[in-house]
Amino acid sequence: MRVVHYINQFYAGLGGEQAAGTGPQVRAGTVGPGRLLAQLLGDTHPIVATLICGDDYAASRGSAVPELLAMARDAGAELLVAGPAFGSGRYGLACARLAAAAHAAGLPALAAMHPDNPGLPEAGAAPVVAAGATAREMAPTLRTVAAAVAKLATGVPLGPADGLITRPARIGRLVEQRAAARAVDLVLRRLAGERELTEIPLGGFDTVIPAAPVADPAQARVALVTEGALVPAGNPDRLESARATRWLRYRIEGLDALRPGEWESVDGGFATTAANADPNRLVPLDAARALEREGRIGRLHPEFLVTVGNGTSVATARRFGVEWAAELRKAGVQAAILTAT
Amino acid sequence: MSGLRRVVHEVHSLEIGDATRYEAHHLVVGRGQVQELLADPALAAVRVHAACPGEEVRIIAPLDVVEPRTKAPGGGGVFPGWLAPVNRRRGGDTHVLRGAAVLAAGHLPRNQEGLIDMSGPAAQRSPFGVTHNVVIEFERAEAASWEEVELALRRGVLRLAVHLADAALAAPADAVEDLAPPHRPGEPTGGLPRIGVITNLQTQGAFKDVFVYGRSMATSLPTLFDPAEVEEGAVVSGQYGHPALRNPTYLHQNHPVIAELRARDGRELRFAGLVLCPEPVEQASKELVSTHAAWLCRAAGFDAAIVTKEGAGNADNDLMLKVDALEEDGLTAVALYAELSGPDGTGPPLVAGPRRGAVISTGNYDQRVKLPAMQRAFGGTWLRIADVAATAAVEIPTAAILGALSPLGAGRLTCRSEQEWEGAA
Repeated sequence: MRVVHYINQFYAGLGGEQAAGTGPQVRAGTVGPGRLLAQLLGDTHPIVATLICGDDYAASRGSAVPELLAMARDAGAELLVAGPAFGSGRYGLACARLAAAAHAAGLPALAAMHPDNPGLPEAGAAPVVAAGATAREMAPTLRTVAAAVAKLATGVPLGPADGLITRPARIGRLVEQRAAARAVDLVLRRLAGERELTEIPLGGFDTVIPAAPVADPAQARVALVTEGALVPAGNPDRLESARATRWLRYRIEGLDALRPGEWESVDGGFATTAANADPNRLVPLDAARALEREGRIGRLHPEFLVTVGNGTSVATARRFGVEWAAELRKAGVQAAILTAT
Repeated sequence: MSGLRRVVHEVHSLEIGDATRYEAHHLVVGRGQVQELLADPALAAVRVHAACPGEEVRIIAPLDVVEPRTKAPGGGGVFPGWLAPVNRRRGGDTHVLRGAAVLAAGHLPRNQEGLIDMSGPAAQRSPFGVTHNVVIEFERAEAASWEEVELALRRGVLRLAVHLADAALAAPADAVEDLAPPHRPGEPTGGLPRIGVITNLQTQGAFKDVFVYGRSMATSLPTLFDPAEVEEGAVVSGQYGHPALRNPTYLHQNHPVIAELRARDGRELRFAGLVLCPEPVEQASKELVSTHAAWLCRAAGFDAAIVTKEGAGNADNDLMLKVDALEEDGLTAVALYAELSGPDGTGPPLVAGPRRGAVISTGNYDQRVKLPAMQRAFGGTWLRIADVAATAAVEIPTAAILGALSPLGAGRLTCRSEQEWEGAA
């Protein structure tokens, strides 16, 4: 099968953060880690082209995935491999989205990343195999990828033994017994000794390792971000009150505080009366400006980022987190104050 | 704790007419009587409609739903704390109009918009797609606050529910159901496990609160509660968050877990009782309530408890803390939970997780459902969550269908992987 390989700007040798805005491009043959992958794949599955895109471009532009997919098609792809992205969030997001889009379009695809990569949930129905946490584990990861490609090429679905880490889709359907009856059955079976039975598997929570403290807050650029759905009065951009699909940004440059009546929270999940009476209690602009004037923080980022956390799925929230981090990092922000409700 | 006798009158058809009457399973709702019972300075206008199973009717922005119930004369009344004193003389038969429901529908701030369809896939998913619904539309009086509107509707709907059941007092019963009080600790169990239920009630202030004897539980400790009083309407909802994750008054009156435990009492288990808990908004209070609830269950001699919640996020934390507290105390715990697996079902299903215990899935909050166009709609003309006409064909998340993911276990949805479904088939 003709394989097309996707990698980011770093593994293509274009550079790190400074090259993260690089747009999609295609090169004939292998680039970077593709060389070892090609050796492992052998002649049966040649890598005919390599797609490259900067992490920022790929994670923040909606057009990136369709552009890359078109390039893969033009290169005659019969199978697409994305990554390995290891633990890198934006790279993982790009690999997952590209694999998901290719899979949905009927092009067999495979991505590789660490199981904790926040991009993983974006892979949809496309298979993703486990990578190590860092590029130190490049060789063993590529061996997993090569074996998975060989199996996928024969049309056999991958399983956990192949390193598959994609969560199988959980599909809701109506059953004969109502939930209350199933709960009583489950209690009785657990009491009878089947202790491990459960309809929803427990666990699977990731842990966030806090970043190091800001060395000198007086020099730091600080951003205000919130999941409390604070928007201009009238909600001109129609932010959802629950189950967010997107996030928004609003300028606070030149404002000393958020004036009551000019802002409102459209969050459907908490009593908004107090927040609407004084929007600064939800997005603490007044206090942040005071700290800025006193020189206790360097500068306030000129806009705040906002979404609604109410009922928003973990997968979507993780994606917003990756996008916000990329956005703020690009703007030179060192610290963010996330107010939640 | 007391027992209860339910005298059941089934409703098979419903119409709006000149005077309320009930005969041969047919319920007529009197227009004039609806106007009288809902008369309130906060309401400028009230209209009443019938929405019956199988009809191409959509009810949008439904508020609370109540089952018509009443006591025979001298029986002390129902909805204690609202329409009857709490220290009333208890006893006598409780008459139930089974298959009927009364609800208000329309815009109310903080009523997270949902819907009920009387036919199609949403009707299969909502407990109220199969009831004969008396729907109240309303208009706010200019001078009235929304809080006054909500109070007027709540009182009016409860009064109407009693009025409708009163019409059946003299009618022959379709069934007479005797409900025994819960098994007492220390009584012989016959070797059967004592299983009870913990029901968490949402307590987040105006329009997000549930009333026990007319009061919020916001600052209460968990309490053992007489299940017979829940049948009588001691728990009334004023909670308008997450439509699919709401527990309308109707579902407290017909608490599915209590019903299931009662049905198996003496055969597979002993129904050990009900514990009501608030869902406080501070972590320390959540921990306090969970610890105390577990202590209460142990003190009441439960071997196991099923834990239910209302709402999501905050409520998930309360649910899982209780499962942990119970299991740590040596009790067996099972929680009822609507998973948040994302539209394609590949996201992490749990937001908060217990360290041990088990969780029943009541469906996926995010799973999309395609609904056909309807002929008529009540409660409004525009479905704001989808930005389409109220009667339009529409695709919505399960989260928007009233009671579809019922945290009290009323629904028949669950989630499994494709492989598990195939294995089960």
